Amino acid sequence: MNGTVFMETLRRSWRGALYWGLGFGFYALMLMLVVQDANILKQYGEIAKAFPPALMQLFGGDVTALATPEGFLAYGFFGYLLLIFAVYAIMSGLNITANDEDQGILDVVLSLPLARMRLMLEKFLAYTLLTVFIIACAYVGLIAGLQFSALEVDSSKLLQSTFNMLPSSLLMLAFTALAGALFRRKGTATAVASLFVVGSYFLNFLGEAASSTVFEPLRQLSFFHYYDHNGVVQHGLSWGNIGILSVVTVVCVAAALWLFERRDVGV
Amino acid sequence: MNANNPVIQTENLGKTYAKNRRETVQALKNLNLSVQPGEIFGYLGPNGAGKTTTIRILLDLIRPSDGRVAIFGQDAQQNSVELHKRIGFLPGELNLWKNLSGQQVVSYIGKVRGGVDLNYVRQLTNRLELDLSLKVRSYSSGNKRKLGLVIALMNKPDLLILDEPTNGLDPLMQQIFNEMMLEFQKDGRTVFLSSHILSEVQAICDRVGILRAGELRAVETVTNLTHANFRWVTVQLREKVDANQFVSVAGVSEVSAVDGGLKLRLSGDFDPLLRALNPYYVAKMEVAEPSLEEIFLTYYGNGSRVQGQQGKEVVK
Repeated sequence: MNGTVFMETLRRSWRGALYWGLGFGFYALMLMLVVQDANILKQYGEIAKAFPPALMQLFGGDVTALATPEGFLAYGFFGYLLLIFAVYAIMSGLNITANDEDQGILDVVLSLPLARMRLMLEKFLAYTLLTVFIIACAYVGLIAGLQFSALEVDSSKLLQSTFNMLPSSLLMLAFTALAGALFRRKGTATAVASLFVVGSYFLNFLGEAASSTVFEPLRQLSFFHYYDHNGVVQHGLSWGNIGILSVVTVVCVAAALWLFERRDVGV
Repeated sequence: MNANNPVIQTENLGKTYAKNRRETVQALKNLNLSVQPGEIFGYLGPNGAGKTTTIRILLDLIRPSDGRVAIFGQDAQQNSVELHKRIGFLPGELNLWKNLSGQQVVSYIGKVRGGVDLNYVRQLTNRLELDLSLKVRSYSSGNKRKLGLVIALMNKPDLLILDEPTNGLDPLMQQIFNEMMLEFQKDGRTVFLSSHILSEVQAICDRVGILRAGELRAVETVTNLTHANFRWVTVQLREKVDANQFVSVAGVSEVSAVDGGLKLRLSGDFDPLLRALNPYYVAKMEVAEPSLEEIFLTYYGNGSRVQGQQGKEVVK
């Protein structure tokens, strides 16, 4: 691996990643700044008590947690951020092979002395680095906001919660790369990757909201279940969950490499 | 590699695509092809004959359903990365990153290839009169083609694979392209180019393979092939004549009456026909080169006649 594709991917994509990072950092900063009085969280908690149970599931179902700084951040920041970040992960995953294949550029690229595996791996690693950068920007925004906020949150928990986004983000990136390797059409790959994210989100949501139904055990099929932003912000990282997400990510990358190596490049 | 070993060797190469869930299409059937070192080999055939499929198999972009390919004596699939160091490629439809400039594309591809001589790249761009500072999206189809040629030639490959290389090039650039290919050959390098334009292969190729419906129908030297020696002649006359009276003229066949004159197929010299036309006032005479398909069918004798002509010239 000589890193040419890796460096070129960084060169072409750093601006996009910077905008995403600035956006996340700004969102984090604003969210922290908006709380100038810690009592406001108690008021949130009181309001939330009046919500129907199904609606409460959107906030994790635990009203007392919502009234704490950690709970507020879990619901108001980490819960949504991963869903928003899915857009970046899917766009980046499509850039690994699907976009170039759809535009007919892969014919030129793969006529060069460049193994298919190397092309995929170098691009995946470049987007992994950019993902880390964006998540780091979000953390910087949180820490900067913390200096001017009435919220008192343990900064190590903030770091752990922010880092907790990484395995799930990489899983979305890897799954999209797999979809791109499996299907020759970019549209199909996009649809499958989007369905994976949205389907996982709703499977987890339904499993929480209807805990005594068939959806409860099915939650375990959703990566949002292992993301567990509420649990991490309250109790710290779950290495078991990170391990599961990492293993699935590695399996997706390996499957993508295997499939892409063996199939015809689309015209 | 032994100097006499073929640069490209295919054995019973076949490719079948799934048209839909139930049907398949056989794009290539039992292709046995051999391209020798230092030759310019023309790969001819109408659109959809399987030319691009063959090229994509050679480059390991798609995998054959049957048979095998060896390039420089090495398996084209197993050793693709090593082989690609020695191959330059220009696809039929060149797609590149539209937001990058020509310079950025050349620079990136040069880095992936490694060891590219920038002075040589400059020579190529000067010769092709290509401005690399423009974005790919702003290139005309001709300039995009030139950029493709620079990319294909930049590493001074031992084998050049070109799919319809002169598509979009103006006649002057086509001439320059022909010169470049002949110089390339002089250096002992090999060119494999696909085309459906006879004049293109006539100008530079040593041998030609003719592909039709996925099958290699013939491999011939250009000299042999173009000696098929017949023309389509359309004659406009002032007065009406009976077409049948020309059937017996030496070299004339397939005579038919057309609006205001005759259309006939002429083999050999013009003189017998001109003598037969002597009593009449000839308003206009058009001579059309036979199409590649027609030459092919004449040369290899396949009863059916194929319509379509090219290389028209008018004699008044």
